[in-house]
Amino acid sequence: MRRTAIRQLRPDPGPAEDTDRDPDLPGLLAQVARGDHRAFELLYGELAGPVYGVVRQVLRDPAQSEEVAQEVLLEIWRAASRYDPAKGSPAAWALTIAHRRAVDRVRSESASSRREEKAAPDLSEAPDDVADVVATTLDGQRVRRCLDGLTELQRESIKLAYYGGYSYPQVAQLLGVALGTVKTRIRDGLIRMRDCLGVAW
Amino acid sequence: MRDDLHALSGSYVLDALTEPERDSFERHLQHCSQCEDEVRGLRETAARLGLAKTVDPPPQLRPRVLAATYRTRQLPPIGDRIEPERRRTRVAQRWLRVPQVPRLAGAFAAAALVVVVALGITQVVTRHQPGVAQTASTTISRVVTAPDARTETVATSAGGTVTVVVSAGQQAAVVSAAGMRSLPSAQTYQLWVMGPDGSARSAGLLSRTGRAGPVLASGVVPGDRIGITVEPAGGTSSPTTTPVLAVPV
Repeated sequence: MRRTAIRQLRPDPGPAEDTDRDPDLPGLLAQVARGDHRAFELLYGELAGPVYGVVRQVLRDPAQSEEVAQEVLLEIWRAASRYDPAKGSPAAWALTIAHRRAVDRVRSESASSRREEKAAPDLSEAPDDVADVVATTLDGQRVRRCLDGLTELQRESIKLAYYGGYSYPQVAQLLGVALGTVKTRIRDGLIRMRDCLGVAW
Repeated sequence: MRDDLHALSGSYVLDALTEPERDSFERHLQHCSQCEDEVRGLRETAARLGLAKTVDPPPQLRPRVLAATYRTRQLPPIGDRIEPERRRTRVAQRWLRVPQVPRLAGAFAAAALVVVVALGITQVVTRHQPGVAQTASTTISRVVTAPDARTETVATSAGGTVTVVVSAGQQAAVVSAAGMRSLPSAQTYQLWVMGPDGSARSAGLLSRTGRAGPVLASGVVPGDRIGITVEPAGGTSSPTTTPVLAVPV
């Protein structure tokens, strides 16, 4: 019922779904879980870019990003048998690992206070940053379009939290709004993104 | 408090919660299926945010990661276990019965049958080690071209099919398997010949890819049954799991 409602809400259908040309990632993951190295090579081909991209977005530093991306891809190999298709897509599983690792690295850095000082310049960089990369991929175009459909507060909260790797109290501080406000803006914004992108879960 | 907790779902999927909040939210998720549903959808949405930032990593990352996988053990799946006990009677019911030798007229026939049985028993006694190459008194081609050769193709409970060609005259069977589910490296398929008394002797290991053969099982006599089980890599001296080869004949 809700799925048809989502289709009606989508601003425009856009070009053909990227997912049409996607390989069978769940199948590949199942093979990897059985120790299939060849399958992992194929999986690497599909996921290394997204994993590295997410990590690089949060960590910024290329050397650190490479290091964490390697950890994440190895964890995907190691924990392939633990992927549960009922819980989400393989890409979501992999990128959850990637994003969490990157954020953990940020949080554990003793230089976190220094990072907060850099927050102001980051804030002005963020919109342009998203625009640069986003325009080049089909996924990116859709994300950009749906982000544009949010209120400014929803959009900035989400970008700072996800791409910036900030905790929501930090986001509240950066945006100068109340804690409760940030929490609800993030959630409302993500729900609108979900419906805009036509996410089928 | 309830509303406050639910409001954390968005921040949770963006990894924007503090550690203690993340822990208590995850605990809450375990008994809130509505939250679990919402989190699932928002997690997919967050993944789209991530996919939008896809960037090819430096080329040197690939060989490093691939090399590391060869040094890294994988986690076993949760809930995976091999049946600890062999259920003997169920094993007996599921095994493929070797077709009886057609009755031949005369005393010569009776003598021939006795010889066949005797040979079968001898081979039971001498061959205990799984995986040891068969010192076959016949060959695969002789079995499949024998005048009394009979073919059975049976679906297995591991997927795929197994084809068994039996020649009672050659006292042997040729077994081929295809399409059985491939096994992790810690397991293998094993071929067995089981006598009417319930004893089972190994006829060798089959490839864990689920595609194997043709493999020769010698010393097969009327009344014997042929089965395939999943065993730990390296095989066992007697079956430990319920055979994947489905009957009946």
